Amino acid sequence: MKLFGVFVPEKDRLLSYFSQFKQGKGGLTVYLAIIGLILGGFGFGSIFILGHGHTINTSSLVPWGLQISTYVYFALVSGGCIFTNFLGNMFFHEKYKTLASRVIFMGLITAIAGFASLASELGHIERMYLFMLSPNPTSPMFWMSVWYTADITILLVEYINIQRNNHSKAMLYASFVIPVITYCSLGSLFGAVGTMPYYYSSLLPIYFLFSGFLSGNALCGIIAAFQSKASGNLRLIKPFVRLQKIALASVFVLTFCRVIIGISSNLSGYEVFRETFFQNVVFGIGGALVVPFMILMYKRTVGGLILSSVLVLVTQFVARLDLVVEGFRVPVFRVYDMPERISYFPSIFEILVVLASVSLVALVYVVCEKTGLFEIAGKETH
Amino acid sequence: MSIIEDKDILEIMLTDLQRALKKPRKERRWAMAIDLKKCIGCHACTTGCMSENLTPPEIHYRPVKEEELGEYPNTGMRFLPRPCMQCDAPSCTQVCPVTATYKRDDGLVVIDYEKCIGCRYCLVACPYAARSADVGHYYTGDFRGKTYEVENSGEYGKNYRRRSHWHSPIGNARKCHFCIHRVEKGELTRCTTTCLASATYFGDINDPQALITRLISKPNVFRYKEELGTKPMVYYIT
Repeated sequence: MKLFGVFVPEKDRLLSYFSQFKQGKGGLTVYLAIIGLILGGFGFGSIFILGHGHTINTSSLVPWGLQISTYVYFALVSGGCIFTNFLGNMFFHEKYKTLASRVIFMGLITAIAGFASLASELGHIERMYLFMLSPNPTSPMFWMSVWYTADITILLVEYINIQRNNHSKAMLYASFVIPVITYCSLGSLFGAVGTMPYYYSSLLPIYFLFSGFLSGNALCGIIAAFQSKASGNLRLIKPFVRLQKIALASVFVLTFCRVIIGISSNLSGYEVFRETFFQNVVFGIGGALVVPFMILMYKRTVGGLILSSVLVLVTQFVARLDLVVEGFRVPVFRVYDMPERISYFPSIFEILVVLASVSLVALVYVVCEKTGLFEIAGKETH
Repeated sequence: MSIIEDKDILEIMLTDLQRALKKPRKERRWAMAIDLKKCIGCHACTTGCMSENLTPPEIHYRPVKEEELGEYPNTGMRFLPRPCMQCDAPSCTQVCPVTATYKRDDGLVVIDYEKCIGCRYCLVACPYAARSADVGHYYTGDFRGKTYEVENSGEYGKNYRRRSHWHSPIGNARKCHFCIHRVEKGELTRCTTTCLASATYFGDINDPQALITRLISKPNVFRYKEELGTKPMVYYIT
């Protein structure tokens, strides 16, 4: 299989970019991403060398922290890219197709970045092979791993197809169905935990799916906005503006339902919803959903899309951290000097892991963009 | 010393235990009963457990919750020791993606430290918060030279030493296992033997003659969060 021009940029363009890079003309994003990767690498290294006890702030009281929420975030962004790809292909045809390879590529890269973050959270990453040798079919986490693998495989095939102008409808549908199942499995991983009222809900898989659609579309929206600016073709942003409005409205409904169900319940553990009501409404709904929607309503421009998308990406990241961590706010069995409410703040090493994941996505995408990896698919019909 | 039928209850339970060990493993059903009227909240079970299993900081297999009941002036205290419930329908084994935690045929829920990937899903799923994550903390800050911190605890009858974060049980989920390493040698669980008020009973509930079987068949017995359908094997006597 052809490697250059499909998976990695053409050799001569890569070499020419490398010489530009050495002269300091590689682009600010690339230099910043490299610094981010070096710092993130330091964070990763410290976690693996020093161990969790000395580096991360999760504990028995807060078993999942920033790394898990970052994994969830990137996994959802990845799923959202695929959702966007499917809807773009279905409803926007010509307006969308020049961006298809970029969107699928982002789906792949964000899935890998998410896994990198997850890897630093596991106590014994070296035993991951046991998912194959000793599987437990009753575990949502096992199924998530199965679908995650299938998802990356399908994404890869779809990406190759697009890059080789060999696009098929069957693969398009497969690249929609498999990720939907994957991200619903991720939602059920949380939603099926009956002991954590903040998670426990049949609404959560759907909420995850649409939150992912929103975040993924926001990331693709930024790419579309820059592409539109570079090519002068303002029609490129139209599908993303429209899809983002749909995604914002869907997540609004689901978040609203989740909060209302939460505050109206008297079951033990549901007090988290009442205690986080203000932040959920003001930031989770107002800042994260209503404001980006209003921006798109009144400013359907490249700048408006970028502003709205950046706001969505940042607020969804915070929303994922909130979702994961707030679940542990009320201790299940409070003994000794345990506080009534558990608080968690990530360590510098955990933050560096996030930086590494973000930098990885930025670096790989920008280098591939600058070296013209996506040009083949963009120029031709598929 | 607590006496039932002119015998020390520890002696009765030991006799019950010997009888149970003569049976094939799958015919046993280990369970625990805790008499809340007798528990004085001395935490001897907690400290006994810690020294038996050499648990690191912040990991308590058997903490004792102190609950205030009622409102002034009609108030009271209740002490609720909480070992692992060894549920018959455990949520932890269901969620473990690699079957590192599983239910043995004698009813015990155990963790295979060599298989646990440290995902902590079981911690999230346990409704009793009976599981802890061993992230690699030491009482002495640094384990080097402090032999107590790295001694073999003998858990599950194996040689697990907390040497570094590369070695289990560091990085794993940990929990009470009814001192199975002691039980299989014919000894009672450490919390049972250290209990000052003899409030903890242990034995095989498949044995109709066993003391624990007779105790849990009375109406003044409840199981913690029984409504969740986890079928806990720890009974509280009130």
